[in-house]
Amino acid sequence: MDQLAAREKLEQDVLKGLRRPGKWYLLGLAFCTLLFVNALVLWGYQASQGLGVAGIMHPVGWGVYIANFVFWVGIAHSGTLISAVLYLFRARFRTSFNRTAEAMTIFALMVAGMFPLIHLGRVEIFYYLLPYPNQRNLWPNFRSPLVWDVFAITTYLIVSLVFFYVGTLPDLAIVRRRMTGVRARIYSFFSLGWTGSLGQWKQYSRLYLLLAAFATPLVASVHSIVSWDFAVSILPGWHTTIFAPYFVAGAIFSGTAMVIILMVPLRRTLQLQPYISIDHFEAIAKILLFTSLIISYAYLVEYGLAFYGHNQVEMELFRYRALGHYSVLFWLMIICNSLVPLTLFIKRLRRNLAYLFVVALLVNLGMWIERFILIVTSLARDFDPYAWGTYTPSWVEIGITFGSFGLFFMLILLFVKTVPVLSMSELKERL
Amino acid sequence: MMTQTYQYEEAEAFLSKLRELLQSGISQEQLELQLPYHLPEVEQLLELRPGPLRFFALTGGLSGFLGGLGLCIYTALSWPLITGGKPIVSLPPFLIIAYLLAVLFGSLASFAGFLLLARLPKRDNLLEPSDFGNHFVIVVKGEGQ
Amino acid sequence: MKQDGPALLIAAGGGLAIALLALSPIGGGLGSMLVVLCFWIALAQGGIAVAATCDLVNARWIASVKPRLLALTPLLLLLTILFLLLWPELQHYPWNGMGGRYLNTDFFMGRNLVALLLTYAAALAYVSAALRGTAQRQKAAVIYLFLFVICQSLVAFDWVMSLEYPWYSSMFGIYFFIESLYAGLAVAGLLFWWRLRTADREQGQVREHFRDLATLIFGFSILWGGLFFAQYVVIWYGNLPEETGFIVRRTSSSTYLQMAWLFLGCNFLIPFLGLLSARVKNSPALVGAISLVILVGLLIERLLYILPVLAISPLTALAQFSLLGLAFVVALRHRSATGDRAEEL
Repeated sequence: MDQLAAREKLEQDVLKGLRRPGKWYLLGLAFCTLLFVNALVLWGYQASQGLGVAGIMHPVGWGVYIANFVFWVGIAHSGTLISAVLYLFRARFRTSFNRTAEAMTIFALMVAGMFPLIHLGRVEIFYYLLPYPNQRNLWPNFRSPLVWDVFAITTYLIVSLVFFYVGTLPDLAIVRRRMTGVRARIYSFFSLGWTGSLGQWKQYSRLYLLLAAFATPLVASVHSIVSWDFAVSILPGWHTTIFAPYFVAGAIFSGTAMVIILMVPLRRTLQLQPYISIDHFEAIAKILLFTSLIISYAYLVEYGLAFYGHNQVEMELFRYRALGHYSVLFWLMIICNSLVPLTLFIKRLRRNLAYLFVVALLVNLGMWIERFILIVTSLARDFDPYAWGTYTPSWVEIGITFGSFGLFFMLILLFVKTVPVLSMSELKERL
Repeated sequence: MMTQTYQYEEAEAFLSKLRELLQSGISQEQLELQLPYHLPEVEQLLELRPGPLRFFALTGGLSGFLGGLGLCIYTALSWPLITGGKPIVSLPPFLIIAYLLAVLFGSLASFAGFLLLARLPKRDNLLEPSDFGNHFVIVVKGEGQ
Repeated sequence: MKQDGPALLIAAGGGLAIALLALSPIGGGLGSMLVVLCFWIALAQGGIAVAATCDLVNARWIASVKPRLLALTPLLLLLTILFLLLWPELQHYPWNGMGGRYLNTDFFMGRNLVALLLTYAAALAYVSAALRGTAQRQKAAVIYLFLFVICQSLVAFDWVMSLEYPWYSSMFGIYFFIESLYAGLAVAGLLFWWRLRTADREQGQVREHFRDLATLIFGFSILWGGLFFAQYVVIWYGNLPEETGFIVRRTSSSTYLQMAWLFLGCNFLIPFLGLLSARVKNSPALVGAISLVILVGLLIERLLYILPVLAISPLTALAQFSLLGLAFVVALRHRSATGDRAEEL
């Protein structure tokens, strides 16, 4: 096939995704929206009744909300990883996943950003966290890790948005060319009048490289900062130096799993098989395996050192994690995060998309549990036996948690119908 | 000489024509190129320099870093209250804020620089899009035009 | 491997001299030997690990220096043998005689020896697969890297961290193996400088590879800075007496404080600020110099870990250090029969 025809076909194939949605799509969208609306209602209920309707109570003051926050920030990680890091390393399989992964980052961050607000007792004064000049001469406490979070998440969201938008510019121009009427107008507006002149491409490629260079250390730092919410305290199980790299690896782990969860069905329903090869899935499965090994290493080191130091409180906490109230969850986490991914050493399984999809689901389950265990057990079992306790999430918390998944998948579904899910201009380079 | 337009379907034909034009003494100012995707070979042919965009990034990053550090130190000193047993001016945490703002301002400045240097948004093209689709196009402008 | 003779001889001679020095009454004992071993094992294992990682992700830049990095393998054996010399000196570790289940001399020696030997064996397997270019090389690379991580973690937790028992930092293992990779990249930087010092040959390809490496060193300087900070900030913020002691001992007296700033500068500030500039990234001499600075920084850091705990006799340490350095250079200069061909690839 000659080059021109191949490029035309690529555009048609990718833009098929933007056609009028089918029945199943609308049903899915309705279901996700319903979950989200339900969460909003529950949040309203919590706001009117007070935080008492959530299960968090002394001594476990951080529960499912914070676990969700960490989980979604973690999901947000692989987007920029796949996009920016693999761009810098010139890895070819990046083009299969980068657009969806970037969108995933933005949506997951939006979802994540809601949780600290949900967790706030008086959400209407959340802006106290921002530094703005005021009559009382009060400023946020920049020594507090919670303020670092505000800056980290905001920065990450803005930079990811810019990165995503810049990446779509040439594609939006293509959509504009292939659409008519109001839709063409809208895409034209967002494509900023991109023509594809050499001058534009020159600046574009430079900007993209710079943004990737900025985004890469940012990815690592954001989840490090989230980890310091815990690590800079002195609680057993939280206060340990490995937390930053361990959280980053865990975030990439769960995020990569989410990319697989999104891309396997997308590839099938949008018929993108010619562009997303099994080899690409194998490459991403290797990332999953690699990060799984890192977090298994971190589990081992954490456990080993808790007993190495002969610190009574540490030892009790780690015994409690494995054998206490939450032991079932703990062992489920070990199976999902450390053992199941090991099967990906087998090439045949790495290349089996259905299997990969199931592994990715289990990994995300495991990673959600990991955050829950990490947060709850340390609070439930700290220094003073008199202050020990347990925690069970209330139905409000559970409903809001499901709602967060609803919101995320709702946004993903909307994205699929508005933006090309593959970067056409980059794929053309390889035709 | 009149303005001439060449259209190509294949990258190779386009590149060889470009090479030929450059060898025949056409200056870069006379050329206008349209590409369906980024071709690094073109930049090599035209021997393009890295360009000023990286200085936007550097300036943005540096000002973000210093601004972030300044903001933390200024606000901490303007109400010097010890919290958590930490010094008033605690550099380790302040470095985090400074670093984050360096990344934020660096990226935003790069983006702004991109819009400026690539002359986007392009108003004429917003209203009446001109597009060469998937073709490689070389426009050689005539003298004095 | 036909031309192994002279190199082996020199390595054996060097090793013997180091051994004699270590065992002689003027020897500085554990301290000197530990500094020297900690430093050179980071370079030797790291160099091979860099090659293995590049093989695994199909990075092309490594082709220009790979045979040289792989030539470091015999050093792993030498270092293992030298490690044996620590056996009689282990009583200087603070945990000695406490009867710990993990920290006792026999288990200490046993697990480290096993790890070192396995790593060496994995390196041998990987090198032979890599030089033959067989499909097995990726598998061998995975196994080597796996053992590399374990071995460097043991260097971190056992050799260095347990000097400060019961102080511990869970990041030490990751920190050490990243640092070892960083050192391996720095060695590659020096090798590139050596290859590119003459401008007469047609070396466009090598130059391109070199630029990739320069960018990679830049990236690693940021990674190193991040890891260092991540460890520091947690200890600083927690401010627990049993944890901060480690840092306080290394920053509250004059020479140590300067050393601390020096290795921070050598490992992060100089490479980071220097390599920001595109011009520096394009100059093999400057990147070579930065690589050297990184290695110096690494040495200072290792010194700073050990110096406050163990006495070091400067002359012995210097002699041992130079002899191992000599062995290192001999290994690098040594061209194995297959190495030359691989270099052309």
